[in-house]
Amino acid sequence: MYQKILIANRGEIAVRIIRACREMGIASVAVCSEADREALHSQLADECICIGPGRPADSYLNAEQVLSAAVVTGAQAIHPGFGFLSENTRFARMCRECGIDFIGPSPESIECMGDKAQARRTMMEAGVPVIPGTKEAMTDAAEGKKFADKIGYPVIIKAAAGGGGRGMRVVSGPEVFEEMFRVAQQETMQAFGDDRMYIEKYLAAARHIEIQILADQYGNTVYLGERDCSIQRRHQKMIEETPAWILDGETRKRMGQAAVKAARAAKYFSAGTVEFLLDSDGKFYFMEMNTRIQVEHPVTEMVTGIDLVKQMICISAGEKLPFDQNSVSIHGHAIECRITAEDPKHGFRPCLGTVQNLHMPGGNGVRVDSDLYLGYRLSPFYDSMLAKIIVCADTRQEAIRKLQSALGETVIEGLVTNLDFLYELAGSQWFAEGNCAAINEMLEGRCGA
Amino acid sequence: MKGTQRFRKPVTEAAGGIYFYPTQKANKKERMQKHSRPEVPEGMFCKCGGCGRMIYEKDLKDSYYCCPHCGKYFRISPAVRIKMVADAGSFFEWDRDIPQTNPLQFPEYEEKLQEQQEKTGLSDAVVTGEADIRGKHTALGVMSPDFMLGSMGTVVGERITRMVERATDRRLPVILFCCSGGARMQEGICSLMQMAKITQALKRHHKAGLPYITVLTDPTMGGVTASFAMLGDVILAEPGAMIGFAGARVIRQTIGQKLPEGFQSAEFLQKHGFVDRIVKREHMRKNLSFLLEAFLYSKSAGKKPHCPQGLCRMENKAFGTAEKSCGSGKKEREGQSYNDTKEIRQDAWRRVCEARSLKRPAALDYIHEIFDHFLELRGDRYFGDDRAVIGGLAMLEGRCVMVIGQQKGRSLAENKHRNFGMPSPEGYRKSLRLIKLAEKFCLPVLLLVDTPGAFCGIEAEERGQGEAIARNLFELADLKVPVLSLILGEGGSGGALALAVANQVWMMENAVYSVLSPEGFAAILWKDGKRVQEAAQVMKITARDMLERKIIDRILPEEEPADREHMDGLAARVKEEILIFLQKYEKKTPQELTEERYRRFRELI
Repeated sequence: MYQKILIANRGEIAVRIIRACREMGIASVAVCSEADREALHSQLADECICIGPGRPADSYLNAEQVLSAAVVTGAQAIHPGFGFLSENTRFARMCRECGIDFIGPSPESIECMGDKAQARRTMMEAGVPVIPGTKEAMTDAAEGKKFADKIGYPVIIKAAAGGGGRGMRVVSGPEVFEEMFRVAQQETMQAFGDDRMYIEKYLAAARHIEIQILADQYGNTVYLGERDCSIQRRHQKMIEETPAWILDGETRKRMGQAAVKAARAAKYFSAGTVEFLLDSDGKFYFMEMNTRIQVEHPVTEMVTGIDLVKQMICISAGEKLPFDQNSVSIHGHAIECRITAEDPKHGFRPCLGTVQNLHMPGGNGVRVDSDLYLGYRLSPFYDSMLAKIIVCADTRQEAIRKLQSALGETVIEGLVTNLDFLYELAGSQWFAEGNCAAINEMLEGRCGA
Repeated sequence: MKGTQRFRKPVTEAAGGIYFYPTQKANKKERMQKHSRPEVPEGMFCKCGGCGRMIYEKDLKDSYYCCPHCGKYFRISPAVRIKMVADAGSFFEWDRDIPQTNPLQFPEYEEKLQEQQEKTGLSDAVVTGEADIRGKHTALGVMSPDFMLGSMGTVVGERITRMVERATDRRLPVILFCCSGGARMQEGICSLMQMAKITQALKRHHKAGLPYITVLTDPTMGGVTASFAMLGDVILAEPGAMIGFAGARVIRQTIGQKLPEGFQSAEFLQKHGFVDRIVKREHMRKNLSFLLEAFLYSKSAGKKPHCPQGLCRMENKAFGTAEKSCGSGKKEREGQSYNDTKEIRQDAWRRVCEARSLKRPAALDYIHEIFDHFLELRGDRYFGDDRAVIGGLAMLEGRCVMVIGQQKGRSLAENKHRNFGMPSPEGYRKSLRLIKLAEKFCLPVLLLVDTPGAFCGIEAEERGQGEAIARNLFELADLKVPVLSLILGEGGSGGALALAVANQVWMMENAVYSVLSPEGFAAILWKDGKRVQEAAQVMKITARDMLERKIIDRILPEEEPADREHMDGLAARVKEEILIFLQKYEKKTPQELTEERYRRFRELI
């Protein structure tokens, strides 16, 4: 096992990983940018190294700097968290060259799943169902239109190199296709420096179900249930829950097995998530695989009792999975919501400020993952997520009540947040009924055109 | 939370506040196990000599060995270079086993050679062989910067000479990547003789009508510059490469001259007319492939590589059946028909204004509209690169054409850059160089005339403006390839005529062609510069006037006065006409072509 791990991330996930290290008796090294010198993760870790100015490209995304910090402190492994360098093949390779373990899958697996067109091909070969769409990425709008006409509208245009909803457009009919294609392409070019797009049939009322998997380096792969992440604002998840009430036991099992098949096809080890779209007929399609720990991982931890971050560290250190599929059992119902510094009254625009007053909820089955503290000043360089509140109860109804209660207790002053909005949403009829389509429509409406 | 430590840290505390790892003995055993202390392996990173920043080796590889931060070019080995330009697996090395010599019995030279051989894995400072570049077969030589700085000794000289000789025998083009500090001191005068030896072989290669392309990379100095590096039909260079004869230090030490910034850089040489193109590494393969295509494989260059003589195609009897009836009567009829279709009564002065309008398309506008690809070649190889004249190889439906045009600017800033379309002697010498290049490879020549006149000024006189124009007329007189001249706007005097000694001269409907500007004419004859409109009228300078005097062969009509914003239709018509001309003239023999040109001007009054 490692003696020292460097955490190449910031915010609540860095704190989450530092905590896991503590529990395992592993020393933790934080890296921070100049803007994050006083951030919780910088103070909490056993050591902290400043790696550059506030702009992510100069610090958290600067592979050379992160690597130098690891070499200087003698860290034997790097946990990349999510975002930043977590799905960066180049960084994973650099770690390997320096004899540092990248806590995550192999660079080859990241590469295989990172390019969405290639991932689709791999899945088709492995017999995992995929959404009807282009086999190869394309750059020409006219060519794209021809394809879209063939599979029928609505279609969704996506960036081959994309993520986080950028470069993504839903096209309702042929008349606007070419314009939308170009807009999406432009956005992708700016964000990723790559203009290859691909087109898929858009499943309008589909639910976004993802399967958490865990695999060790010896081919043992298990699935740890699913998460329903259908409530999204502009492809950004807002509330996630498990189990997905819409699934029956049979579909759940089939999806889990498909996820395992997908992971095996990519020769995957570590924690990962296979995302599926589930249409109204109960048919599911592979969408993509996230080769990292995810924001919403705590809901799975709450119902399975498995600490995913610790498992990732153990797997990376070469240990075998201590359980098999049969010993995985799911207890209760967990819901997570993300508290962000966004103003729901003004199209969810991001806000800045300093925390003037703070109270976080607690109690049985309530978990808060956050890096907030009194006096914390929000930096304009980074994501606006402040905290995740996760609740777990025996039934969905109880969990919803617990969530609303916890949100009601939460006080964050000095910042504009979506707290009140989430409180209302958690108590709404729509949420109780699981009417994601209506919620998403409302969210889209609030975002404006 | 600043300053004092607020949190208690159980792991640190357990280790007694000091890290057990990696100093304490207790963990030594564990350290020996799988998770040892991380280390940056040798060669994983390198430092850029330009900006001093650290670069990941793999990034360097992905970016063609240019610094991803500042763009500085790293020197690369022949193996890497060949991989970059040649088709995968197509390179076959020649003459690897030429024995090393030590002609001066120079002490420790042999040991030095052996050490260099072991270090680089090369037997000397150049690798030669044959390869395909995008399917086009060529002889390829690459010098190594790592082997005694690419210095030229007997083995280097012999290898390059044999490559050129073999290429001449097998009718192959030669591409040579130069990279050398100059002659190899340890081999003394023998090293100097390599310059002559290689150059002689190159002369034969040239006489066989075969293309020779050099690429100057960092550094190309001394005897290499003074021989084979500077003799390419086309000379390419890498950005920022140091190229020169005498090194900067030598110049400073011998004559104490102060040297400007950027002295002896590729850009400096291009500005002074010695480099055709500065090509980035990522575009090198594409450029080389284009040049080979243009010189050897395009429709106009035809089957040449397989012919025994370079210019044979033009001399081939089989092509002598071309129609000879290119009489003036027919030409006149063609021109007339254009005039009949659209009668425009526009007075001469309005046409002068039209010809000078900033809206009017310039040579480059036509080139970009008409041709599929255009590869500009720059420099006169004597003094400079005139921006008022642009020239290069252009592709037109599989044919390669040498296009040379006088280029006016479209704004004041651009006009300053282009010297208002008034060519300097360098411009005419560049066009002459390109015309001769076209002749070597049997490429038809298209000349685009658009100038108020040749530049007049001290500099122009110092460098022989008159001689430069005269030489153009002289050499165009018996050029062995078809020449078409098209007057786009202003055809100002001798400056225009230098590009108008052609088999056919055409004019755009609103172009003018004159011995002098109407302003000058009015000033000289009437001492009244204001009578320009009258002058324009009496000077008879419109296209119609020219056609009547058979100065030109036809008028290309403009439905509306040409406007570069809306020139699609016009360009398409011009393109069609040019294609017809090419089809007709590529059937003629060189004798027919020169004879026709002679007659054309001889029969004028």
